[in-house]
Amino acid sequence: MYSEKILALFKKDGIEIGDKVSITDSRGETEGILMPRPDVGESDIIVIKRDDGYNVGIKYTAKAKIKKKAARKQEEPKSSHAAIKSNAKLPKISLLYTGGTIGSKLDYVSGGVRTLTKPEELLAEVPELSGVSEIEVKNVMNVFSEDITYVEWQKIAEETAAALNKGSRGVIITLGTDTMHYTAAALSFMLQGLNAPVIMTGAQRSSDRGSSDAFINLLCSAYAASRSDIAEVAICMHADSSDRECMLIRGTKARKLHTSRRDAFKPVNNSPIAHVSRGGEIKYSSDYKKTEDQKSKVTVKGLFEPKVSLLKVHPNSSPDVLEYLSGKGYRGVILEGTGLGHTPMNTKHKDYNWSSSIKKAVDDGMIIGMASQCIYGRVNSKVYSTARELAKLGVIYCEDMLPETAYVKLGFLLGNYKHDEATAMLAKNIAGEITERTEADWTVSD
Amino acid sequence: MALDYKELGFKCGLEIHQRLDTKTKLFCRCSTDSKDQNPIMEIERYQRAVAGETGLIDRSTSFESSRKREFRYKVFRNTTCLVDIDEEPPHSPNKEAIGTALRISAYVDADVPDEIQPMRKEVLDGSDPSAFQRSMMVAYGGKLQVGNRLINIPSVFLEEESSGIEDTKGEKATYRTDRLGIPLIEVDTDPSIANPAEAKEVAKQIGLLLRLSGRAQRGIGSIRQDVNVSIKRGTRVEIKGLQELDRMDSIIEKEVERQRNLVEIMDELNKRKASVGKPQDITKIFKDTKAAIIDNSIKSNGVVLGAKLNKFKGIVCREINEGKRLGTEISEYTKKGGVKGIIHSDENLEKYGLTEKEAEEIRAALKASEDDAFILIAAEQGAAEKSMGYALLRAGLAISGVPPETRNAEPNSDTTRFMRPLPGGSRMYPETDILPISIDPGSYAKMKKEKLSIQEISRKLEEEIGNKQLSDQMLWSHNFQTYNYIKENISVKPNVIAGILLEKLTELRRKGIPADEISAEVLLEIFKRYEKEKITRLGIEEVLKLLPKSPADIDRLIKTKGLSRFTKAEVEEIVRKNKGKDANDTRNRVMSKHRINVDGEELNSAIKKAFGV
Repeated sequence: MYSEKILALFKKDGIEIGDKVSITDSRGETEGILMPRPDVGESDIIVIKRDDGYNVGIKYTAKAKIKKKAARKQEEPKSSHAAIKSNAKLPKISLLYTGGTIGSKLDYVSGGVRTLTKPEELLAEVPELSGVSEIEVKNVMNVFSEDITYVEWQKIAEETAAALNKGSRGVIITLGTDTMHYTAAALSFMLQGLNAPVIMTGAQRSSDRGSSDAFINLLCSAYAASRSDIAEVAICMHADSSDRECMLIRGTKARKLHTSRRDAFKPVNNSPIAHVSRGGEIKYSSDYKKTEDQKSKVTVKGLFEPKVSLLKVHPNSSPDVLEYLSGKGYRGVILEGTGLGHTPMNTKHKDYNWSSSIKKAVDDGMIIGMASQCIYGRVNSKVYSTARELAKLGVIYCEDMLPETAYVKLGFLLGNYKHDEATAMLAKNIAGEITERTEADWTVSD
Repeated sequence: MALDYKELGFKCGLEIHQRLDTKTKLFCRCSTDSKDQNPIMEIERYQRAVAGETGLIDRSTSFESSRKREFRYKVFRNTTCLVDIDEEPPHSPNKEAIGTALRISAYVDADVPDEIQPMRKEVLDGSDPSAFQRSMMVAYGGKLQVGNRLINIPSVFLEEESSGIEDTKGEKATYRTDRLGIPLIEVDTDPSIANPAEAKEVAKQIGLLLRLSGRAQRGIGSIRQDVNVSIKRGTRVEIKGLQELDRMDSIIEKEVERQRNLVEIMDELNKRKASVGKPQDITKIFKDTKAAIIDNSIKSNGVVLGAKLNKFKGIVCREINEGKRLGTEISEYTKKGGVKGIIHSDENLEKYGLTEKEAEEIRAALKASEDDAFILIAAEQGAAEKSMGYALLRAGLAISGVPPETRNAEPNSDTTRFMRPLPGGSRMYPETDILPISIDPGSYAKMKKEKLSIQEISRKLEEEIGNKQLSDQMLWSHNFQTYNYIKENISVKPNVIAGILLEKLTELRRKGIPADEISAEVLLEIFKRYEKEKITRLGIEEVLKLLPKSPADIDRLIKTKGLSRFTKAEVEEIVRKNKGKDANDTRNRVMSKHRINVDGEELNSAIKKAFGV
């Protein structure tokens, strides 16, 4: 933003953002369009867009003279994109828009990216979609993924069920990628009787860039939602750094494993369900729940216990945190243990030993699950005495479940089931989150 | 024939691009040294045009995007990182590059803004995996004295080098990303250059200023001159890819000729009230054709599209430059749609194997009269339709004169070919991943104050080298930076350094030995061995011939090729053994056997000693 001083000056001279202006200082005259000031740095720097398209920042000093040359051109920018054509002969799917980078556009006011006001704009960027399916777009919310809570999960689950019950063949949900795997897990548990593909997608590069991954992600998602027979929640994002194909990853087995790459999402302890090429070819590579010829409705088991937490164990980690949570009324904790699933138990400094705190928490009714911070692999309570003791204290070993999925699952179980039921269900597979076999190719890169 | 350029309304401006040899790239810490590497992977990308800051899709970007091309990028271990392949936000700007850009700006007396605003310049030819090039205006309002003329330098930019194109086939292009992101300085002039010869002179001077920064990269492609040319009733055309200064004036002359001819064609077409028709599928005419090109195309499920050019007869074959006709220009547009070219009625159709009867049928189908021309494209339907669209676009543009275009200088010729429509200003938008860069006005003012003029530098150099011809040659040589670098690091006489860098390197190049590829660091090491009396001056030349790659390599070559300089005692011993009838005879005897190993002065004193004179 410009400073109050500068804004007052603009006001006095009737200058508005977008006007053609000139600033005269010791360097002479600089002419161009007055641009909004990005929300960074000194605010008495005036940003001018020159005729050649370049922006330059000129510091406003008492000696400088700013003059309005011409008023802002009022013509609305013409969009050269044709509106998306609907084709009733194609399968009808729904697209639920929830925000995130995929719907981000450059914001010239803040200097950052802003979210689209009309999600339809996004489809217009991918004209190929009109040949794939008839898409009904719904603007469900506009939230950054880091700000999504279980309330949003419930809302998205309900909207998904509503779209499917109204006759959509499949649903695409676009959302921010940071916590996409949490939302995917939540929907995997919440949607009951799911008999259609629910495809989550997003983007690592905003869609105002010619190189955005959003275009291919949307296209492949549309193929998956309108042509696949997957009856699960899956994430559909780039399979590798090329814009060639996307990978469909089971919602309970996905993790964001890179901060910025377009192929940030990988399946963990699981093969991808399928690969979808940009040309629409779907290659299945593992077992999945298939759609069945039935007309029953999708329902939502949407309750969630927010008093559940995910704790990472590390050298010097103190069980005080667990005691604090227990004291605050938390009903469940997933420990992200070391290795096969351990916490410190026999350190020379007994403040760091977790056994008594765990025992107390379990006795007070807290459900404690164990997953591994190794990300890949399965926890095991039989190999080391530490784990044997933890299991004896009542810690539930969550097999090959991802810590994030285990967290979502525990919140879901505590929200919808009684304590004993929840305890019994945590380490039992309900939505593909636990597999019995650990596949030999432990990382799947493409 | 000498032309009156003023009368022609000649306008010409330059954009000189110089790659910098900073340690790392502009917005990531990859090495800028992109030699001899094999790619570790290849990625495939598609790009599309998106609206720029002002909301309009730039005409050149939408042209490229409508071509829906597939790009492949080769990725390298040390010179490509995630930033280059659009998989990570940019890192902070390279300070060394910004300093160099400011130094160059100071040389042209330009003003710097208080804050440099990094921009994204949209490019959809695939040369950047992010679909934009990061670019900053570093300075503006500069000027350059060339002879008695003052040329304005409206802007100095610092931007990212694009990827190097390796291969292009139809709608597919392959790029190398090792070069991508290396800092590139662009110095522009205003369009006030008076004639082609002056353009060359201005380019030469700017080249010198760039080298004065001490950070100009050497080697093929490290400097590129783009020329903007227009004449009265013509249009600004940008010619890219001039690597050699020598051809600049003749290329400009050819562009002037081209525009004059296109203006003439425009006048003729307007007089005739010419217009352009619509594409029509006329495949069925060629069911039993003997024309191989058409037949092959139909057999592989292609179509034949025809279109009428009303009143164009005789114009399509009108010569624009030597060997280039309007038809050539139409064909160049067509190729962007993925076909090989066009067939048109102004050429001898028999050479394609088309019969007179077929020609008549084409005319009948297209309702073309004798005054009209027609064009044919035979290809797969999608490519044919797209290409015919481009062909008709170019033919139609002929009616309004010279189309605003970016053109490419052709290798081994002074003519150019169409690259893409000239980009406008709307393809710029702010790079929001990088904060604006504040410039300290005080330190820039100091840089400006302390800079030397070309005249002062030239005088200093002459003093140093002690030979006006050699020093003048050095000032304008691309080895000037290397000269300064070596001179600053050792105490060998400047004239020896200059002599080797100018005369010997040129001599070796002429013999086909690429001694220019020897890095400045290795050159310095060779001179160090000369300084330490490990080799003689002739020994330097011998080492250069063997193209050493490292200091260890130099030592190995000196040893194995017998290039070591003899010690004083050894020289005296040799003189004793080769003593002839007099001093001269002895010198000749020694030199004929040991010229590479014996230092001239040392030999003289040994001879003096032996003959007692």
